[in-house]
Amino acid sequence: MERDTLHAKAATTSAYSSNRAYRTEEVEVANLKPAKLDGVELKLHGVDHTARPTWKLRETVEFYRDILGLPLVHTISARGWGQEGHPDFLHFFFDAGKGATIAFFYYLGTDRPDKFIPEDHYFYSATHTAWSVETPEELQRWKETLEKRGITVSPYTRHEILESIYFRDPNGYPIEVTLRLRDVHLLDAKDAELTLAAAIELEDELAAKGTRVMDIDTVWRRKAKLVEEFIKAA
Amino acid sequence: MVVVYVLDVAEFSEIVESARRKPDCRITKSDKGYYRIESDGDIVFNRKELKMKPAVWYGLFTGGLNGEIAEFGREQVRVIGTNRPL
Repeated sequence: MERDTLHAKAATTSAYSSNRAYRTEEVEVANLKPAKLDGVELKLHGVDHTARPTWKLRETVEFYRDILGLPLVHTISARGWGQEGHPDFLHFFFDAGKGATIAFFYYLGTDRPDKFIPEDHYFYSATHTAWSVETPEELQRWKETLEKRGITVSPYTRHEILESIYFRDPNGYPIEVTLRLRDVHLLDAKDAELTLAAAIELEDELAAKGTRVMDIDTVWRRKAKLVEEFIKAA
Repeated sequence: MVVVYVLDVAEFSEIVESARRKPDCRITKSDKGYYRIESDGDIVFNRKELKMKPAVWYGLFTGGLNGEIAEFGREQVRVIGTNRPL
């Protein structure tokens, strides 16, 4: 398909572009149509880019390009457009391998709002991207090299199928570099489904009583029931 | 009675190996990818024996647990039977 054909066939406006309130409304999943009803299998093929705002232009460029050594591969500089009051901006991209990039927006003439000040809290650092390396030697090279370059790096942390290190950029954003320890298989997917089914069932049951799940032990007990049923089923 | 369900993957295999060394544990393997470890009494696991890093250790029972965790420390966990609903 010619790239411009995408635009020719599509409406130029939708609630997404014309109704600002839409951007903050909750998506009502119950009103949406499940994939299995139309039989269309949508697939993704990896990361193109992640993007975050920065209010430290020089430090961000120097950190990613000069300290980490990730090539700067693209910069957009543009007038603000679209939303009313949108500032002029720079949008720049550092190479993260396999076609993926780490991107930033720098909004000219703006100050960092308080809610973007980094916090030492798991809610805050939950928003992160884990960038992959392919061998244990490469993970070790990242840790030891960054430390020699003066960056504070976490100890190695093993999470079932991943071994990771963590550090922070000048914006306070957490960065994870991770090694996949093994491939995931069908049984991992089934197990994932059963764990979440246990948690969702319990949350629904307890919500009806005005409470909620407070500990993982409760989920593990319900999962025991679901796994027992699963392995006994013909 | 205590039942621990263990997914048949490398990072949890030491749970099964440890249970094999415990005379009270009966182990069966389902063809659907789970080991089932059953004991009439308490089951105690030790983190070093399982060769687990903390982030895996604290998810030890992610395969399912019919029992109650009486003690879950950084080095040792003890599971006892319970009448609490599953």
